[in-house]
Amino acid sequence: MTLFFLGLGLILAGGAFAWLLQRTRIADSVFALLVSLGCAAALIPAAGVLGGRTVAGVAWDLGPPTGIWAFDIDALSALFVAVVLGVGLAAVLYGISYLAPEREHRSVGGTHFLTALFLVAMALVVTARATIPFLIAWELMALSAYLLVVFEDEQREVRRAGLIYLAATHIGTLALVAMFALWGTHAGGFTFDAFSRSALPAGAGAAVLSLALLGFGFKAGLVPLHFWLPGAHAAAPSHISALMSGVMIKTGIYGLLRVISLIGGAPPWWSWTVLALGALSGVLGVLWALAQHDLKRLLAYHSIENIGIILLGVGTGALGIAYGRPALALLGFAGAVLHTANHAVFKSLLFMGAGTVFRATGTRAMDRLGGLARHMPLTWILFLIGSVAIVGLPPLNGFVSEWLVFLGMLQAGAALGPVRAAVLGAGVLALIGGLALACFAKVGGVVFLGEPRSESAAKGREAGPGYIAPMAALALACVAIGLLAPPAVRIALEVAATVAGAAGPARQDVIAPLTAAASGITVVSGGLVVLIGLAWAWRRMLERRRPSAWTETWACGYNGVAGRMQYTAASYAAPLLAAFARLSGIRVARAPGAFHTHPFDLVLERLVLPTWRRMAGTAEAIRPLQQGRLHTYLLYIVGVLLALLLYLWLGGAA
Amino acid sequence: MPAADLLLVLVVLADFMVLGTSRLTTCIRAIALQGLMLGALPIALTQHWSLHIVGLAVGSTVVKSLVLPWFLRRAIREAAVRREVEPSIGFTLSLVLGIAAVAIAFGVSQRLPLPAGVSELLVPVALATVIMGFLTLTTRSKAVTQVVGYLMLENGIYLFGLTSTDRVPFLVEIGVLLDVFVAVFIMGIVVFHINREFDSLSSIRLTELRD
Amino acid sequence: MIAWTAIPALLLVLVVAPLLPGIATKTKSWLTGRRGPPVLQLYFDLGKLWRKRSTYSRTTTWMFRLAPLALLVTSVGAACLLPLDGRSALLGFRGDFIAFASLLAVGRFALVLAGLDTGSSFEGMGASRDATFATFAEPALFLGFVTLFLISGNLSLTGMLGVGAGLLSAWIGGGGHAAPALALITISLFLVLLAETSRVPVDDPATHLELTMIHEVIVLDHSGPDLACILYSSAVKLAVLGALVVGVLVPRTALPAPLTGLVFTGGLVLVAVAIGIVESVMARLRLSRVPQFLVAAAVLSTLGALLVLVR
Repeated sequence: MTLFFLGLGLILAGGAFAWLLQRTRIADSVFALLVSLGCAAALIPAAGVLGGRTVAGVAWDLGPPTGIWAFDIDALSALFVAVVLGVGLAAVLYGISYLAPEREHRSVGGTHFLTALFLVAMALVVTARATIPFLIAWELMALSAYLLVVFEDEQREVRRAGLIYLAATHIGTLALVAMFALWGTHAGGFTFDAFSRSALPAGAGAAVLSLALLGFGFKAGLVPLHFWLPGAHAAAPSHISALMSGVMIKTGIYGLLRVISLIGGAPPWWSWTVLALGALSGVLGVLWALAQHDLKRLLAYHSIENIGIILLGVGTGALGIAYGRPALALLGFAGAVLHTANHAVFKSLLFMGAGTVFRATGTRAMDRLGGLARHMPLTWILFLIGSVAIVGLPPLNGFVSEWLVFLGMLQAGAALGPVRAAVLGAGVLALIGGLALACFAKVGGVVFLGEPRSESAAKGREAGPGYIAPMAALALACVAIGLLAPPAVRIALEVAATVAGAAGPARQDVIAPLTAAASGITVVSGGLVVLIGLAWAWRRMLERRRPSAWTETWACGYNGVAGRMQYTAASYAAPLLAAFARLSGIRVARAPGAFHTHPFDLVLERLVLPTWRRMAGTAEAIRPLQQGRLHTYLLYIVGVLLALLLYLWLGGAA
Repeated sequence: MPAADLLLVLVVLADFMVLGTSRLTTCIRAIALQGLMLGALPIALTQHWSLHIVGLAVGSTVVKSLVLPWFLRRAIREAAVRREVEPSIGFTLSLVLGIAAVAIAFGVSQRLPLPAGVSELLVPVALATVIMGFLTLTTRSKAVTQVVGYLMLENGIYLFGLTSTDRVPFLVEIGVLLDVFVAVFIMGIVVFHINREFDSLSSIRLTELRD
Repeated sequence: MIAWTAIPALLLVLVVAPLLPGIATKTKSWLTGRRGPPVLQLYFDLGKLWRKRSTYSRTTTWMFRLAPLALLVTSVGAACLLPLDGRSALLGFRGDFIAFASLLAVGRFALVLAGLDTGSSFEGMGASRDATFATFAEPALFLGFVTLFLISGNLSLTGMLGVGAGLLSAWIGGGGHAAPALALITISLFLVLLAETSRVPVDDPATHLELTMIHEVIVLDHSGPDLACILYSSAVKLAVLGALVVGVLVPRTALPAPLTGLVFTGGLVLVAVAIGIVESVMARLRLSRVPQFLVAAAVLSTLGALLVLVR
């Protein structure tokens, strides 16, 4: 634990140096060095726990008003610490290069400090073992994220996104405060230990679980609580988008898993709700992503989709506990945590790729891009790796976790009783996979392939090593988890066991055969890589004997392929979106010779904003009551008093 | 009871045919096929033969798969309706809602006390057919499709009745059949007259009749 | 996990695969009163294309040249996961059916990207349609697998397939609803096959107008050995999905291995004939109706699963 806190201290110190030394040339190097050292130091205990060792937790009694401050790292925390700091390190290093061009306009050092603070806050959230430190870290995380989102605060759009985020995150926090208060009253203490020792009465348990779903659901961005997410992710600087999408929203998942493990399971209705919300978020997230034209908004909607997949896993696991099927619980939770880690890796890779594209071309509008693969080959390959991973295809990591989630759902089918119905979720997951494939084929094809659609796209040039290296590290992680499936699956199952509270032989009965089966994935993935490599070598050898000819694109004889004639993101997605009709969230504008689609967020524009306007309208209507004159207020008091007396009199008479 | 199971699966498929097709004639063909299955079901379900069973089978086959479809086809021809179903929701969504209905019906019937000695698919399929009949009634606007939805509804209720063929008196069954027959007959006459008066058979336009 | 004994049957299917589109075309020709091209036409085409050289557009990148190879490797890889001799697959493990579907998806991903790589709006159109229809085919395929798992209780393709015959006798004896469920998913998988291999009523392999094409238009710029790779992969994909349909029905009995291999091959020929019959009696669906067709397939699969879930 000491090493962990030392690491966090180093990260903060790095941030502070970056802020104080921002006029000097060494600021960036000191920042990078200290954060790297800090992350490495804090990762050591986490890696140890994942490797099977234990870490002694710490607890300080600070007396009133804050009470006991406890921190600990178990397997679940360790996995999330690894995600926070591993992905966080890559994002911070990327951010140093990414923000360098902004140095003239604004205080980059301050942003670096906030980033460091953001990282530390997230690391504390996933290790805190008492209410007060948890909530403090939670708020620190939310506020530093807000300040980072409004980095470019001169743009109206950015300020609006920041405000919506701030409002949403605080509604979530409110729910969490209520949850902890309720729980603490019943448990007689506010440490997580007290929570896990106490048995909640059914009604309070239901309230705690509902509040947890609301509070953590806002953070995770599940539909329909996701409305803050696309705007905030798109508005933030790219490395912050990577951190928010890859890591911050996962703290919501952490919270749900932690609550499940503390309560020791959840009733069926809650598990089914989570499963249904997961299915909803998954399908709608990817569908809305498909409708986007802005690269970063598209990636943001994919985060909602992946949260959906994770929740499918969480829901399956919770069903396993609710219906007393330990194997099901293990599989579901394992799929959820592994997909959490995987999504953190590939989604931050993709956001960094989007940031690199933005820096190279100055635009995020996909219909103005195209043909970048020619001048940005490395960025393209790295982005492609991220795409293949997020679609859940072999040989990369996304496939391993989706495989686990699938197996979890099928496992439900093998059981008896109502839990069997969960098996139909596999169809939903398949639909999500198909839509994600279509979507990322669109992103890769429209942004990187074909001909440039605008001047700025034609000008795009490859980014420097400061951009490429962090992305390459994440891409390497995608490949490694994909090819080394058995250890990854084993670790995920061990973590799942701490959530499910399963122990002993039952756990080994699941882990051993699944780890063996995962080696089948290694054979498939490895075989795929090797065979495609061999086929490529063989084909090029053949080409040397019969050299290929190079000419124009055939295009049915019309030899005037211009960038503007290509299929655009909108035209590519049109048939798919048409099949989903009104659900797809686009406004279509047709004119002779022109076809436009405008994506909009169904929940935000049809539900949240109208409600908000109505509330504001009501507030406006009762405003005349507030006039600031003392005697009016006295009149109100007398009026209320009279009403109360009247009530007493009538009530007494009865 | 393999034969009964097969017939019941085909009944559900006929429901989906109604929901998925864009042609009125296919709609009617589906309901006729469903009638045929329903006619054969009493025979497939029964353990011991009786005049009652045979009468029920023959009666419902004749009414459900010959008379009523013939009547509907005639209605289309005479009223010169456009032969396309005009759903207020998409066909894809109809199919998805349909399968959701089947899933719910199957799930709910797991909780119901099922009568012993009949196929365990009988009650779920009956429920599913009723729900899909409602779906057709609410999402299809043409008068002919309304009649088809109404028939599906009735077929579902008929299936419920089959759970206790031995106990329900013959006369009740005949009464139900007659009821439907008269209902469809009246609907047919109304269809003709609406068509003559308003040149349209869409029940959406019926809302214009108020005041 | 790895069964080397599966190799002869695998090789047999890989050799026979290009025959299947020929048989489908021949059946269609006969039924419509024409003579049609020889059954071995695809072999001749492949041989001719193989001897040519490729022509590439200057717009394209390595993605365009990688796609045919990825398609080849993934379709052959998918074949390795199927128990083609009725006993065991070359590679089998828990959840290998997910790998099966994903391998086919990898090939499609590469092909769609290659289509967009040419910068031609025709290929963009093909890419868009291919991706759209494949999306809707996916749930039907997976729900089919779900049903097979529920019936067989086995998470590997080797264990899932070949349970048909035993079920039929059990069903006639009065046990469970597995047999009607199996019939439903066989139909559903056949519909998926028609969509995935670009056949009528989803796509018409014989069309000559680019605007109406799906699969043909996405490979418009491929030529020479690359096109040969794609054509061969399509044939293998047809054989693989056909083998899935056949595998649901063919019993896994005590027949000697070579005989089961022949039964499988015969089943594949029947599937090809069925495709030919469908092509000669059905018209192509309007493009906007194709999703509905595939949703119907998914509905059949789901109904199958529900039938097994009712106990």
